[in-house]
Amino acid sequence: MDVFRPRESAKTALNNKAIEAENLAKIYRGNIKAVDGITFSIDQGEIFGLLGPNGAGKTTTIKMIMTLTTKTSGSLHVFGLDVSKYSEQVRKMIGYIPQSISVDADLTAYENLLIFSKLSYVEKKERDSRIHKALEYMGLSARKDEIVKRYSGGMMRRLEIAQALVNHPKLLLLDEPSIGLDPSSKKQVWDSIRQLNQEFGTTILITTHDMNEADELCDRIAIMSEGKIAVMGTPAELKREVGGDIITVEMSDSYHIPSFPKVIGKIIRNDDLEIEILTEDGEQAIPLIADFFRGHGISVESISINKANLDDVFMKYAKRRLTDEMFKSVRKTRRDFARHSR
Amino acid sequence: MNIRRFFSSAITITEMEARKIRHDSTELWTRIIQPALWLLIFGETFNTIRAIPSGNFSYLQFLTPGILAQSVLFISIFYGITVVWERDVGIITRLLSTPSPRYSIVLGKSIAAGLRGVLQAIMIFLLALILGVKVRFDPFDITGVFLVVILFAMCFSCLSMLLASYMKTRDRMMGIGQALTMPLFFASNAIYPISIMPSWLQYVSIVNPLTYAVDAIRSLLVEGNYANLPIDILVLAISTVIFQVLASRTIKKLLE
Repeated sequence: MDVFRPRESAKTALNNKAIEAENLAKIYRGNIKAVDGITFSIDQGEIFGLLGPNGAGKTTTIKMIMTLTTKTSGSLHVFGLDVSKYSEQVRKMIGYIPQSISVDADLTAYENLLIFSKLSYVEKKERDSRIHKALEYMGLSARKDEIVKRYSGGMMRRLEIAQALVNHPKLLLLDEPSIGLDPSSKKQVWDSIRQLNQEFGTTILITTHDMNEADELCDRIAIMSEGKIAVMGTPAELKREVGGDIITVEMSDSYHIPSFPKVIGKIIRNDDLEIEILTEDGEQAIPLIADFFRGHGISVESISINKANLDDVFMKYAKRRLTDEMFKSVRKTRRDFARHSR
Repeated sequence: MNIRRFFSSAITITEMEARKIRHDSTELWTRIIQPALWLLIFGETFNTIRAIPSGNFSYLQFLTPGILAQSVLFISIFYGITVVWERDVGIITRLLSTPSPRYSIVLGKSIAAGLRGVLQAIMIFLLALILGVKVRFDPFDITGVFLVVILFAMCFSCLSMLLASYMKTRDRMMGIGQALTMPLFFASNAIYPISIMPSWLQYVSIVNPLTYAVDAIRSLLVEGNYANLPIDILVLAISTVIFQVLASRTIKKLLE
């Protein structure tokens, strides 16, 4: 099934990056720097995550890529095309799923896809088969002639993804794709994102403030804070930088620990009955630790693992917790005011 | 820019509106109430007392084109509210993120307002038939009225979208719509001839596109005298093009 496989066009040679941004900035009136000179590139076929609190500049970045807002300075290329010069061609290569639901609730699912594929200039003879395949792919065929108003939130999201698929995008932009969804719909959305990437090689850029989502889906992540990229790398790399996983070993009696092998990890705390060991990869370290203690005749009550997460990474680079960040941010509120009063 | 694609996008936007009307036509029926009251109460009363000079025709005949134009004005001047609402529910973002050019989307939206105008015109024709108002039901004239209605609705819906790009909220659009409709209506020849207006108001009525729309509809529907038709249509066409271009350039502001 290669229905969603994007077609190569002459203009977009394979060696081009899917997205290339250099010193990209968006400054709103009143010198509000929504995006403050970011540089990053995304390879074709990659799942890339922009992680950060509200107001960090993720959505503005997406909108600049989608040509919905113009950059203030810097350069931005999508598959080698300058977005400010070739906005219509760029939009033709991208599927976009905005933060808020954008399907037309007064039309049926089929009609939504029909209108969208017409506006995306899908060829007439291909239109119907693409629409039906997209509906089938997202599991909406049975209710395609129902007015979308009656759909659940999860179904609307899936319809939205179906819509983004009818023009066979080479690049899919998802702005907070699972916000407000229940866990099972969330999982469905994640599965379809992964499937698109694996089966059809679609490049995917996703923004989120959900650390699990970023960790689960993304090949690489950039953490944004106040319009800047604070740090960029694979989830594993980033987590390694904050030190790795912590293993806590509870012993049945107080023992003297001789020298602890460095290959396993480093003891960072040693109470009489409890030891904390910092390791690079907790799951691999646990059996080694168990063997070590058994070998020294120390009886162990329990071993627990505390995995490093991206919140720790965010904490390190932005000096704040991501979770707190969602609720209080004076700066964010100010930006929001500025954005809404224009 | 590919011309064929440009127009196909515009027609698709209109098709979207047509499909919505087909799913739910309540609005069409409720929109007939106000013109019905104007014709039944205001029209019948002034028809009887003959307070307003209406030339060789009865006052009801004189009034019907005015009320038709008025109700199309209402539809189109508040069209910006629909667009603001569509912005709020993400549809505008969706439309502007397709490869279709912005001009084609604004053009499609304005033709959609024209479509609503034509449906409204059909309702008022039916109303006129029921009330026994003598209008010229000649295929040429009716087609002409439809075309004038489409042009007129395009003109004011573009003005409305232009305003919406700056106003950005439904409340403000409601306010500005209210503030505009009555002055436009009273400073036109919709319910009385220009000749009985105070002279300062006559000047205002000359720059009011509604005057030209009413004049065109009246000459087609009642008078059968097409002398002023070219100038009427020219004025409407020029205003439509101006508002169309301005609205297409500003519509992206709605998203900011």
